[in-house]
Amino acid sequence: MSFIGLQDQKKGGPWDVPAAYKSKKAPASTAQSVNLGKMLWAKHCKSCHGNNGLGDGPKAASLKTSPGNFKAAEFQGQPDGAIYYQSFVGRDEMPNFEKKVVDEEERWALVHFIRTLK
Amino acid sequence: MLTKLADMKRIISLIFLLVGFLTFAWAQEETVEETVVEKDKPVRSPFESGYLIDQQTSVIKVPKTLEFVIQHKFGTVENGRSDLWGIYAPGANIRLGLNYVVAKNLQAGWGITKKNMYNDFNLKWTLLEQTRQNTIPVSVTLYGNVAIDSRSKKIFEEQQYWHSSDPDGVHTLHEYRWSQRLSYFSQLIIGRKFGEKLSLQAGASFSHYNLVDHTGDHDKIAAHLGGRFKFSPQSSLLFNFDLPLKIKNISEQREWTNHPKENLALGWEISTSTHAFQIYISAADGIVPQDMVMFNQNDWKNKGLCMGFVITRLWNF
Repeated sequence: MSFIGLQDQKKGGPWDVPAAYKSKKAPASTAQSVNLGKMLWAKHCKSCHGNNGLGDGPKAASLKTSPGNFKAAEFQGQPDGAIYYQSFVGRDEMPNFEKKVVDEEERWALVHFIRTLK
Repeated sequence: MLTKLADMKRIISLIFLLVGFLTFAWAQEETVEETVVEKDKPVRSPFESGYLIDQQTSVIKVPKTLEFVIQHKFGTVENGRSDLWGIYAPGANIRLGLNYVVAKNLQAGWGITKKNMYNDFNLKWTLLEQTRQNTIPVSVTLYGNVAIDSRSKKIFEEQQYWHSSDPDGVHTLHEYRWSQRLSYFSQLIIGRKFGEKLSLQAGASFSHYNLVDHTGDHDKIAAHLGGRFKFSPQSSLLFNFDLPLKIKNISEQREWTNHPKENLALGWEISTSTHAFQIYISAADGIVPQDMVMFNQNDWKNKGLCMGFVITRLWNF
């Protein structure tokens, strides 16, 4: 039996985000979209990424790769389209959420909420 | 005779109201399609899951979603702490099921239940979804199943049963036929989400058993009401109420001696990305809907409540 501690987690390498996603333009953020994004965050993201995007959710400790810190300037410095790609297309331990969050408006609402975490 | 006529009038009025309502909903959709260019989208998550304790909701996940469901009911709370309010009672009922979304808003499922070893095959079709701009004000869902009582043949052979063709007072032992194992349930559900927190649904169902004992009816119509109040992003309070109706026109009994009792259920739901957990108390010991409508003898007003839970797990392909 083995346990993975937070200290044993490897840092995820750089993301290879396709240009089509990088150049995606987010619709304007509104209080309503941020609130919707917050609801979706609680349902789909919080268990790994934690309440505030610090990567300290209850399931985070069982991951081999750190979920990262969404407050970090490195993360927040990415274009909206890159965050969109990372959130919904995913890779490795970050699951694909395209069939869980099917509405484009909801996907951008989640990106809007993630932007408020900085 | 006058009572029968009045009952018939009521049923006919109900059918007309229903048809009129559906026509109105369709007409609304057609009118708006002509004038509004942008498509009105369906409302977000009227319910978090396709299950509302003992009922179905309008929710059908995206095509190619597989759902595994565990429905578990403990015994009634009537014996108090001696059997931990039914949790350690011997009368638990369990259903394990699989549902697959074959096309948009169309789901097919199969389940097997401990009570009577029902194997049920079901279909759910949400033919109308409520939209955000109110172009379609309600969701309309059809649900139906056929269940096979898969217990030993011996149980059927030993059972003396009555048939509607028997003369009054004569209870004949009939030959076993496989079709006696079958029962059916069909339901129309109309639901509406009121704001972000409250969703309500009402339904009418028709249940039929090919074989019942001499005190029962083969057919039963029931009314259903259910709802949820979402009080946090992941948590909701749930309720449902199922009322088997006493309709003389479709009954084979002069007097009802053991008419099925209504089912009341109250629960708490926690939903995540791939799971829904519902913990509840409910009167009916059955899980297959026609069993609840036809056979429930637990009285929720007299300690006839069971604790239970529903767990769903989703996979997308």
